[in-house]
Amino acid sequence: MTDSPPHDDALLAQRIRSGDRSALGELYDRYASLALATALRVVADRQLAEDLVHDAFVATWQKIDRFDPARGNMRAWLLTIVRNRALDQVRGGRASIEVGAADEQALLRTSANPTWEAAIARRSTAELRSALDELPTEQREAIELAYFGGRTYREIAVLTGVPLGTANGRLRLALAKLRDALRMTDAAPSGAGERLGADEAGQ
Amino acid sequence: MTDELRAMDHAAVDELGAAYALDALEPDEARAVRDHLATCTQPHAELRALIGADQVLAVTLEPVEPSPALRERVMASIERAAQEQAPVAQRPGAAEPRQRGGWLDWLSPRVARPLAVAAVVALVAVGAWGVTLQSQLAERDRALRAVADAIAEGETAFRVEGTAGRGYVVDTPGSGAALVVADLAALPADRIYELWLLDAAGTPVAVGTFTPADGEVAVVELERDLAGYTTFAVTVEASRVDAPTGDIVMAAPLAPS
Repeated sequence: MTDSPPHDDALLAQRIRSGDRSALGELYDRYASLALATALRVVADRQLAEDLVHDAFVATWQKIDRFDPARGNMRAWLLTIVRNRALDQVRGGRASIEVGAADEQALLRTSANPTWEAAIARRSTAELRSALDELPTEQREAIELAYFGGRTYREIAVLTGVPLGTANGRLRLALAKLRDALRMTDAAPSGAGERLGADEAGQ
Repeated sequence: MTDELRAMDHAAVDELGAAYALDALEPDEARAVRDHLATCTQPHAELRALIGADQVLAVTLEPVEPSPALRERVMASIERAAQEQAPVAQRPGAAEPRQRGGWLDWLSPRVARPLAVAAVVALVAVGAWGVTLQSQLAERDRALRAVADAIAEGETAFRVEGTAGRGYVVDTPGSGAALVVADLAALPADRIYELWLLDAAGTPVAVGTFTPADGEVAVVELERDLAGYTTFAVTVEASRVDAPTGDIVMAAPLAPS
């Protein structure tokens, strides 16, 4: 994922903030296909997904003053906006063009740790996909239900027919294994997975 | 929030770390974790190490190429948004002292869009034509009240921009239209501004003339209503003419926003 250098994103954000429309065009060229993939994965409707991407870029332009490069990069911000609006759609809510509190809370949650961004930047998309593909099916399914389906671990437990602790454990194991696969040993103390019992992990 | 959540301890917060990082908590649980992290003196390193992990899922999707029309649509929307609302750094008053005192400057484009003929009529009624608002605060306040009343009416206005300045054409179908401008570029003594309406074929019809005075708000009632016309334009002429001879110095498309 070496095509999304955060420092370039910061410069793009600066240019957008100064009113440079061509910078928004560059942001679009850089991330529109990824934004559309995210929206399409959530709503499974091409036209609706394009509408959501359109709204997300307009929101990015209008609310660029709320983007803080210290809290994350433009890609994370944009994809967070796309995902939130797409999930609003599938939940039957009305997607808004505004950048709301939900986006800002999501940003606090998604981008406060630069080690994942560094891992993403160091590896190719194929390597990142491989790390995901190597997860046990039930763990990958759990994190995909969470991210693309907008499901809580409680809902995942019901959907997959497992106890709450198992659903939560699958999320924890999945992220621990991803972290290990991406060699993010500097990101956290080891043992996140080991502390889970076999029953909790559901394997 | 339940007592259990309110009393969430370190271990309970860590237990939910992955779900928190993946946005997979119920809203009250997420709030409890967030509140705990905001005030806790413990590092919660394990949980914090998971934050940001969801970006891996986002970037591993196979990119989907948007239709070419989407880029054009986005850029057209940005163009419109840029006209309506400049980014913060460019917004007058955000980072630098305001240099102009016209009351149009005090309204964001979004708010000013619904300016109505009612406001123009009110301005004329209170003698606002040619009044220097910077020096007459009472008139300014009265004008703003009239604008606020007009906004409540939900009528439409079209933003007019160009090298000469900016303003609005306000329209009440069936009751007429008017141009409201402030701080227009001064003209030589032998020149006037002439107003035009153009139809879809580009045929212009003269609908008025005016000469602004420095620092004033000008309200010019158009001699025709907007029905059937697609563009409003202003040129500089030596005297009123039936067909424009000068360059367009301000213009606005007359399409609903």
